Amino acid sequence: MIERDDELFEAELRKLTPAPPPPELMARLAAALPQPATLSPQPPWWLLLRWLAPVAAGAALVAALLFWWSTAPDRQPHVKPVTASLKTAPKADEIEIDRQLVALFDAVAQLPNGQPVRFRCREWADEVVLRDPARGIVIERRTPRLEVVPIRFETY
Amino acid sequence: MDELPQQTDWRRWLEDHAPKFLLFARQQARSEADAQDLVQEAVVEAARRRADGLPPPSALVFATIRRRAIDLARCEDRRAGRESAAADPTPVDWFDTSVEDRERNQLIQDAMSRLPEMYREVVTLKVWGGLTFAEIAETLGIPANTAASRYRYGLIELRKLTREVLA
Repeated sequence: MIERDDELFEAELRKLTPAPPPPELMARLAAALPQPATLSPQPPWWLLLRWLAPVAAGAALVAALLFWWSTAPDRQPHVKPVTASLKTAPKADEIEIDRQLVALFDAVAQLPNGQPVRFRCREWADEVVLRDPARGIVIERRTPRLEVVPIRFETY
Repeated sequence: MDELPQQTDWRRWLEDHAPKFLLFARQQARSEADAQDLVQEAVVEAARRRADGLPPPSALVFATIRRRAIDLARCEDRRAGRESAAADPTPVDWFDTSVEDRERNQLIQDAMSRLPEMYREVVTLKVWGGLTFAEIAETLGIPANTAASRYRYGLIELRKLTREVLA
């Protein structure tokens, strides 16, 4: 009898429904929740894909870079171009090596003990000319060079 | 058991669950403003703890409300605000007064407010929260048997307090 009364009383309680929240609170809740896009139900494979996608993209990028690196023309092994260059390289049959004196001057310095030292300075221009008359190729290279020779006064 | 919607319809989920969350929060807090804040903070926190984007289980929200209510009660700088709010004479209806007998609803609310807290929270979670004793135990951090016994004693006490009307 008592248990029956308890059940009836519990049923009476269940007839009551909690008061609905005020609209302001519902609006606050709706605004405070995360965006619907982030709350959409996502299957486990999508969650896994979400993490795997950047990794896969990175791996694909690395693979593409490696492929490009190995197939780029300027990255080919140098054996073939060298061989080709040997076949097509100009013949260095006519080589001229010359040097021209551009300037000559002396400079005087003083050692820590007070002894003067003279430096004879020469400025040269070394020139190399390579010609291949068969191909009509002329290669010139001109390099400046400074020559400094110390001369002690006592040697005079 | 907790009824989780298969499709994420948060608005519907809020409409279904917010009333019972607020009822529980009103019993835990000392003012209506604190109760509403508790509900908002608990729902948001529980939702963020779910990585799959689905609405959180009711038990998790109830537990979060209770934990935050305890933190709020311990917060010294909120004491003055709570006391002033508790003095607010504006009554708040715990139950929907648009249906059934308003007088009976008010009587049960008064009886619930006089019920010891350890009984009141179990009765609320069981009757209006829709939780199982296992979920109540998890929410309150007590054994399931304790939750069941508190529910039984709570109903007895509540019947005594409302005997003259519901007898």
